[in-house]
Order: sequence, then C-alpha cells, then structure tokens
Amino acid sequence: MEENVFIIHPSEIVRKGLALILQEYFKMEITQLSSINDLNSFAAITNNLIIVIIQKGLVLPVETEERLRKNNQFFLISLSASTDTEGVTDGYDYDLNVLASNLEIQKLVQVIRKSASKTKTSNTDNGDLTQREKDVIRQVALGLSNKEMADKLNISIHTVISHRKNITEKLNIKSISGLTVYAIMNNLLDISDINPEELI
Amino acid sequence: MKIFTKDNKISSLVATNSNLIPVINRFGILLGFKEKTIEEICLEKNVNTDFFLAIVNTYTNENYFPEDELLSFSPLLLIDYLKTTHRYYNQYVLPKIERLLAAVMQTCAENCSSLKMISSFYQKFKTELHIHLAQEDEKVFPYIIDLYHNRVLTEGKSIRKYEDEHTSVEEKLSDLKNLVIKYLEPTYDPSAMVEFLNTLFQFEKDLFDHARIEDLILIKQVIRIEEELKTNAAR
Ligand SMILES: [Fe+2]
Ligand SMILES: [Fe+2]
Repeated sequence: MEENVFIIHPSEIVRKGLALILQEYFKMEITQLSSINDLNSFAAITNNLIIVIIQKGLVLPVETEERLRKNNQFFLISLSASTDTEGVTDGYDYDLNVLASNLEIQKLVQVIRKSASKTKTSNTDNGDLTQREKDVIRQVALGLSNKEMADKLNISIHTVISHRKNITEKLNIKSISGLTVYAIMNNLLDISDINPEELI
Repeated sequence: MKIFTKDNKISSLVATNSNLIPVINRFGILLGFKEKTIEEICLEKNVNTDFFLAIVNTYTNENYFPEDELLSFSPLLLIDYLKTTHRYYNQYVLPKIERLLAAVMQTCAENCSSLKMISSFYQKFKTELHIHLAQEDEKVFPYIIDLYHNRVLTEGKSIRKYEDEHTSVEEKLSDLKNLVIKYLEPTYDPSAMVEFLNTLFQFEKDLFDHARIEDLILIKQVIRIEEELKTNAAR
C-alpha cells in the first residue's frame, strides 16, 4: 500500500517545516497544498494510506473526504495552534499541536501506520508455485479457455479462476503471452509446443 | 511533490522532474529558459497556460486530477499534443528500445533462447501498442474533432465505444519488465541490459501518464460534450 501525506496549510513556513520533519524519518510522498479545496484534485486516489493534516477547526470538502475515506485507509489530523485546548475534536482522527516535538510527530505516524496495517487484508504468501498452479500455467500458455482447463484438469471453473488469480499474484505476470514466456523460460513447456512468432 | 502554478519558474519545473523535458519539448518549448515563468514562456510560445499546467501537473503527480475549471481548454489542443506524443513514440522511442534490445542480444554468446523469447514478447507488445496508437489517430481523434466542430451525435457512436482500455498494453509492458528482472538468465552483457531497462522504465512511465491524460482529461471532456448534446436534443 502506498502512503500519501497531505499537508494543507496557508502558511508556507508550517507546511515546509512539517514536511521536512516527516520526510527526515519516513520515506513517504508529501504533498503540500495551500488551500483545502486543492484536495479535490486528488479525490480519485484509491487503495492507499492517506494522511491529511489540516488546521484545527477547518473541514475538508465533504464529497472529497467521503470518496477518499471510502476508497482508502484515510486519516485526518488536525493541527492546532499552541493556545488551543488539547485533545481530539470531533471529525478528526488525531490531533497534533504545532509545539509537538519531532518525536511526538514520528510517534503519531507510527500509530497511524499500525492501525492501517491491522486492517489490511492482503495475502502476502509469495511462495513458489504449487504443482496444480504449474499445470494451469501450462494450459494457459497452450491457449485453453477456463472452461477447457476445468474439463481437462478435472476441477471446477471457479477453482481454475482462483488458481489463475494466485499465479498472477505470486509471479506478478498478468498477460497470457507473459505467462507463456514464463512457462517456457522455466521449462514448464517446451518451445516446440508453441509458435514463438505468434505468442498469444 | 507539488502543484505547479503559472507564476513558477519553468526551470524549477524541469529541475524537479527531468522526465518533463520531453513532455515540454512536445509543446515546442526547449531548454534555455533563463528566468522565465511558466506563464511567460507559454505566452511567448503561444501555448494555452491552463492546458500546459494540466499536462505537467498530471505528469508530475500520479494522483493529480485537474479540476473542472482547468479543463476548459479545447480538446483540439489536447489532440494535437497527443498526436505529437504518438509520433515521438513511433519515430523515436520504440526504435530506440528496439535498438537497445538488439544490442543486448548481440552480447549473448550461448543459452540465448530465453532472451529470444523476451524479444518475441517485446515484438508482441509493440504490435499491440502500434494498433492502439493507430486506432486513436485514425478513429478516436477524428471522431472527437468531428463532434467538436459539427456538434451532432451519431446513432451508435460514442467515445466509450471508440477508446480501448489501456490496461492490456500496460500489463504487457509490466510483464516484460518482471520477466527480465525475475526470470531471465543473465547470459548477456549487464551494461547493455541496464541501458535497455532504463529506457524501458522511462517509457513505461511516460506511456502510463499519456494514458492517464487520455482517460482523465480527453475522455472526460468528450463525455461532457456528448452529454450536453444529448440534453439539447432531448429538449
Ligand atoms: Fe494515445
Ligand atoms: Fe490511448
């Protein structure tokens, strides 16, 4: 999951300063915006971790916030001035004070990352292919449809599809011609089984 | 990562992201900017500033999506730009990648069959990309130009029908990269491969941004025109 941090503040000093602190410790994208409405241009982001830091008391454009929250792990942090009362206010996920130390800022990011990774449901099994998956790749490379593969290997279409999904996740190869090249390079198939000029 | 505005110096744009050099060259804007701002150079070169900013910001920020008011320029401008980009791919980038791949293959003395497979796979990708670019040049763009000038909808025609998805071409390019990185036996000269891969990576990025500009700006503009015409016709 990619991380995106937005610092929205009219003061360049605040924006740059906070960005500097965050960048020093974390490898993350930081976008500095001077106005809340600039965030609308980023409403199309999906599947990222998004942290937005805005001045306490301000709210984001409703539609944009809803969209970002729906499609991402989204956290809104209010940045309060030194004289404001402490504590998280309604509508924000966390609160940060301009007088916070570097350490406090780092801690906050760690807390957010942890809570984001807890809800993440990715399957990180990047192991070798199973025998069944190798069978499936071979048939894919030979140009069989899911239905034909199911018949040939004596499994359901649903199982074929789930094997194909796992294969793509493990290898990070999506196209049929890419899988064909993989199969030949890894001796699952012989080059004479296909016509290399006509990769599917 | 920041959003550029018309008052920024054009030199700072390029210093932030050198990948933008070919992009702005396509506007007829070449290096040697001195202290000029984006607005000044656009004025000088007769380029629409909003249009220029929409393009460079989309290229610089993967998640940037220009707001409606920034999309008010004519789609004809964008089409001109996209066509120039296609020409740049066809006449310069693709032949270069091919040359570099041929150079890699020449350094392979034995056990070259996997490398040959990579080369056929590249050919496969190139053919598909050529078809995609030609479809746009010959079908998609003329449809839009016609729609823009004549303002009439034709039964059964719409931008959604014409413009293919970009995923298939992008997938192949990403597969090509992964096959080389993960599975190809290194029976070639590594320096030659570095040159090939660097060019390939840069092209992957450029192509991805090009597709995003088509999907996020051009198609969106055309859909808006189509919908306007539909409501007018309904009245
Ligand atoms: Fe295109
Ligand atoms: Fe395209």
